[in-house]
Amino acid sequence: MVADGANIVSVQGLYKRYKDLPVLLNLSFDVPRRSVFGFIGPNGAGKTTTIKIITGLLHDFQGDVMIQGSSVRQRDLASCASIGYLPQRTTMQEWRTVDQALNTFGRLSGMEGDDVKKRTGEVLDVLGISEHRHRKVGKLSGGTLQKVGMAQAMLHRPELMILDEPVAGLDPESRVLFKNLFRQLAKDGATVFFSSHILSDVEDIANNIGILGQGRMGYCGSMDGLRERVHHHKEVRLELVEQLNDIQMLSRIPAVSTVERISGNEFMLRFQNNADIDAAIDKCIRDVLGAGMHIRSIRPTHPSLEELYLSYTKGGMV
Amino acid sequence: MSLSLLFRDELNGFYRSKVMMALWVGLPVMAVALYFLVSETEGIPMSQFTALLVGSIGGLLTSAMIVVTILKEKEERVYDLFLVRPVKRRDLLLSKFLAIYLCVIIAALLAIVLSASLDAVINDHEVVDTITGLGDSVLIALSMMAISCSVGLLIGVISNSMLVGILLVLYGGNQLSSLVILPIIMDIGEIWMAVLLSAAITSVMLICSILLFQRKEL
Repeated sequence: MVADGANIVSVQGLYKRYKDLPVLLNLSFDVPRRSVFGFIGPNGAGKTTTIKIITGLLHDFQGDVMIQGSSVRQRDLASCASIGYLPQRTTMQEWRTVDQALNTFGRLSGMEGDDVKKRTGEVLDVLGISEHRHRKVGKLSGGTLQKVGMAQAMLHRPELMILDEPVAGLDPESRVLFKNLFRQLAKDGATVFFSSHILSDVEDIANNIGILGQGRMGYCGSMDGLRERVHHHKEVRLELVEQLNDIQMLSRIPAVSTVERISGNEFMLRFQNNADIDAAIDKCIRDVLGAGMHIRSIRPTHPSLEELYLSYTKGGMV
Repeated sequence: MSLSLLFRDELNGFYRSKVMMALWVGLPVMAVALYFLVSETEGIPMSQFTALLVGSIGGLLTSAMIVVTILKEKEERVYDLFLVRPVKRRDLLLSKFLAIYLCVIIAALLAIVLSASLDAVINDHEVVDTITGLGDSVLIALSMMAISCSVGLLIGVISNSMLVGILLVLYGGNQLSSLVILPIIMDIGEIWMAVLLSAAITSVMLICSILLFQRKEL
């Protein structure tokens, strides 16, 4: 795997151990350019370790990571400045004000004084924390500090944003703000690589996911690819107008494997893995109408990332 | 570029810190108070006593402050946001050393000027003459403080425990910094030898700190 134009990050055969504890065992994956990449896995799987290696914070490891075609082992000034990093917990020296902190980080990332000032105003506005600009970092709440962390990560307009659990500990409003921001950053041409435990958030915004388990990448690709990989049951939610007493009638439809009554007139029909879902729905509609009943709604349902993840991990694939 | 930026940044933090404020006010006050409280000071000019005192106590307090600062910043992972940027680890340490050393030099000079002024009033001397005559003592004090600061830096880098770090500074730093006065006490060298010795010890400590910090996984 070599980082090419399509991939901004290429992780190649990473091995990392902490004393006697192996954490990463031949971890390899690519992060497509301009994607929103959700990095998930159980606690202690090595997500933060991987992120620290990609950002160059850990250098005692085997394997390599290429960012824009350059190895993290030979980081130059330009490659450092092209990364924006938000740690799991943002910490800064308490004596700094938000403005001072952003000024320092912006200038260390190669920005000029006037640009830093202007850009600081912009990012604080986007994150809704302009009123905290002259407050000391030590006086901020955890959520606001996380936003300041996000501000320093995006201040210098990096091409690659690496975010470790960015929405953990945020209130629902701020989570929505962050998710919209990630979408906007990707739209503007940045690549957003983030780890999270909140699978619904990953599902909401990521167009690529990576599942880390036992030190290796269990799955890396799109959500649709994951669905195919786990052979998740195809499901259809059916709502009838009339009360149906004979549930067996639905079970007799070819390709239906199980039927579950959700509420009075609502049913979940699960189809065999190899079933042609469109033909099966067509047959289902004809049978129900043929029995003299009426359909209020019928729609296929998609398993959530949580369900897919659990199927995947329970199946021993991670 | 990053060294000068980091130096100004660290200076900005230190000169307004409570510890540094206490040092700037506390060191001159402590020097004057101890001069009158300690009976063995009879016959020694207050300014000379102050110069020696700030060299040892000022250096000790500063090295302890460096250890506490570095250990706290390591523990809280403050350096991560610097190190993902085009910042050299060497510059992070040097900026801290230079900023703290500059702050403690100012504190020491304030203490010496105050005591020289009191000396002048008590003994009816000119303040400028008194300070000029203190050249050697001031050089010794600054040399001792340079060693203390560099020892604090090294211990901050290698230690992972606050308690161990402070104990090492209390026992090791102070002893090492007093090496510079040996050539004078033993009457085997001139003042420049003491300054040279201090520069050599400080440089070795700084180089060791930088090398270890570069290898260390924070």
